[in-house]
Amino acid sequence: MSQTLLFLSAESFQAFVWKGSRLAVARNFSNDVDGREQFAAFLERHRYPTYMLVDIIEEDFHLETVPHLIGPGRADLLARKFEQYYRSTPFHQATLLKRQTEGRRDDEYLFSALTNPQRISPWLDTLLAQKTPLAGIFSVPNISAPLIKGIDAEHVLLLTWEQSAGLRQTYFNNKRLHFSRLIPINQGGSFSESVASETPRTQQYLKSLSLPPPGETLAVHVICHANDMPELQTRLAGESDLAFNFIDLQAFAKQHKCTHEFTDSDATPLLLALLATKPPSSHYANADHTHFYLLWQLRRIFAGLAIGTLLAGAIWSGLCFKQGEAFTGETEPIKMQTERILQQTRDVQSNFGDTTVPANDMKTAVLLARNLNQYSHPPKELLFELSAVMDSFPRITLRNLAWQASPADAAPSPYPAQVINFDGELTGFGSDHRKSLDYLARFQQALNQHGYTASVESMPLDISSKGSISGETNLDTGNHAQFKLKIIWRHPS
Amino acid sequence: MSFSASDIPEIKWSLGAFVVSLVVAAALVDFSDTFKNNARNELQTAQAKLTDARTQLATAQNDFENMATYKLEYEALELQKVIGNEQRLDWLEGLERLRKQNIVLDFKYAIAPQQSYTPNPPLDTGNFSLNLSPMTLQIELLHEEQLDQLLSAMMSQMEGWFLLDRCNLSTVAAPTGETTSLKADCAGGWLTMKNRNTP
Repeated sequence: MSQTLLFLSAESFQAFVWKGSRLAVARNFSNDVDGREQFAAFLERHRYPTYMLVDIIEEDFHLETVPHLIGPGRADLLARKFEQYYRSTPFHQATLLKRQTEGRRDDEYLFSALTNPQRISPWLDTLLAQKTPLAGIFSVPNISAPLIKGIDAEHVLLLTWEQSAGLRQTYFNNKRLHFSRLIPINQGGSFSESVASETPRTQQYLKSLSLPPPGETLAVHVICHANDMPELQTRLAGESDLAFNFIDLQAFAKQHKCTHEFTDSDATPLLLALLATKPPSSHYANADHTHFYLLWQLRRIFAGLAIGTLLAGAIWSGLCFKQGEAFTGETEPIKMQTERILQQTRDVQSNFGDTTVPANDMKTAVLLARNLNQYSHPPKELLFELSAVMDSFPRITLRNLAWQASPADAAPSPYPAQVINFDGELTGFGSDHRKSLDYLARFQQALNQHGYTASVESMPLDISSKGSISGETNLDTGNHAQFKLKIIWRHPS
Repeated sequence: MSFSASDIPEIKWSLGAFVVSLVVAAALVDFSDTFKNNARNELQTAQAKLTDARTQLATAQNDFENMATYKLEYEALELQKVIGNEQRLDWLEGLERLRKQNIVLDFKYAIAPQQSYTPNPPLDTGNFSLNLSPMTLQIELLHEEQLDQLLSAMMSQMEGWFLLDRCNLSTVAAPTGETTSLKADCAGGWLTMKNRNTP
C-alpha cells in the first residue's frame, strides 16, 4: 500500500512516496506561499495515508513521576500536565516509561512536545485543507526505539545524522526514550567533527542528571556510512570515558528491510522507512489533525466490509449452487429408475388377465375358505375311528351320539375341536363289577389311543369317594349298564 | 473532532458500496438458497416416488404370485356361489333334488334369516364380511352311513357351502316287527363371503 511520508526539518520540508517498500518520489517544498501551493498540488496527486516525521531542535522532553491513575482520572491528570508544561503547543504527548515497583507504585512518564508549532502549522493547514488522511506527526526520537532493539546495553546514546537537520543524539534507558538533542550542522562543519565535539557535551549533560549512575557505562552507538567510519574512529580514539560503537548504515538498513542505497551517513531514508513500516502508536498529532485519517480508515473498513460481504455472499451462494447441482444430479438417475420400475410394474400388471378382483382379496378369500374348512367336518371323519374301536368292544352298544364344534377345547389345535357325547350301554354288567369297569376302562383307553381324548361323564357304578352307593348291592338290572363319555376330537394339524 | 453528520459525504461511496454489497450478497444468498432448497425438495420428492414405485412393483409382483396361486380356488368359490350374496333358491332346489334321490328316509329343514358370522377362533377376513344363514335338519336314517352320505351330497351336488356345527344321533324305538331307525338332529348354516368393495 502506498503512503506519503513527509520530513520536516529546520531547513527543509520534503515529501516522499513510499511504494513497494522503497521511497519512490522525493520533492522539496519551500516554506512560502508558492511552496505550499506546490505541496497542495502534490497532495492532490497523492491521496495516500500520510506520516509526518519532524526533526527539529524545538522538541522538549520532561520526565516526571505521577500518581498511578486510570480512566478519566489519568486523562485529567495528563491534560493538567500538558497545560502546565506545554500550554502554547497542541503537539504534545505523554509516554508511560514504567511503573515504580516500590512505595506508592507511581507512574514514570515522559512528557514531550514540539514547542514551536509555527514550524508545523503551515504544512498541517495545507494537509487539512486538502483533507489528507494524516496518520500522525512523529519525531525522530519518537521512532528510533526499534533501532536499538538489538543493542544489549542499559544506557545507550544513539547518534544519527540527518542531512537536512543535523546530528541527533538520543538517550535510551532500558530501551526507553528519555532524552534527545539535535545539533544542527553548521556550514562547513562535518559529521565526524560534530560527533567528536558534541558527544562529550551530551555526556556532561547526562552526568548532571546522574545518567548513567556512577559505575555504569554509557554505550554510544553511531550509525554511519562505512566510508565515514575510519575518520570517526580516528577522531574518537581519544575519548576514553565513552564506549563508541559504529554501526554500518547500509547493513543496518538492510536489517530493517530498507533497500535504499546509501552514499553517505544521512540516515533520513532509514528513519522514513522505519516510520512507514513500524509507525509507533503515540505521536504528536491530536484527534483534529487525524480526523481525515479516521475517515480514510472508515472508508477502508466499509470497502473491506463490502468486499468481504460480497465474497462471503458469493462463497455461500456458490456452495448452495454446488449443493443444489449435486441434488439435481442425484435426482435425474432416481427419476429414470422410478420410470423403469413403473414400467416393470405395468408389465407385471398386464399379465394379471381379465379380472376385477384384487389379488390380495383373492388370497384372503381362499385362505379364509381353507381355514373355515377346518371349522366343520363331515361325520365320517369324526366317527371313523370311534366305529373301529367299537368293533373291538362288542359288549358296548350306542344309545345316543351327539357332537358339536367346540372352540373352547381347540388347544393345541388352531381350529375348533369336536366334542362328542357318547351315551352307551354295557351288556353283561352282571355281578362282576370289577371286570366290567375294567372293560369300560379299556374302551376309554382304546379311544385315547386312536387320537381321541375321552373322559368319563358317568359310569354304571360310581366307586369314587365322592359317589354314593345306595340300597341293595345287587345292580344286576337285566345285565345292561348305562354310561356316558365325553370324547374330544381334534384336527390332526 | 469526532465523527459528525458532515463527514458522511466523505464516506458515502464506501458506505454505499457496503450497503449495495449487503443487498447483492443477500440477493445472491437468497437466490442460491432457494435454488438449493428447490433442488433438495425435488430430490426428496423423487426419492419418495421411487420408494412408492418400488412398493407398487413389489405389490404387483406379490399380486401376480397370488393370482397364480389362488385364482383357481377363488374362481371355484365363486362358481360354488360362496362368494357373493346368498342364493336361497339354489339351496331349496338343491335340497329338493337330494330328497328325490332318497339318500335318507326323510328329512326336514328350516333356514333362518341370514346373520353375520364371526369365526371362533377369529380369522382375518380382510375385505370380506362373512354371513351365515342358519339351517336345522331333522333326518330319519336307516343307519349312520346315510347321514354322511346326505351331508356329502349337500357339499358335492349343491351350490353353496354348508358348515355343520352340531348333530345329535339317536335311535328311534320302532313298533314291534319293524326295523329300528335312527334320527339325526343337525344344525349349521350356509356360509357366504361378501367383498365389501363390491356392490
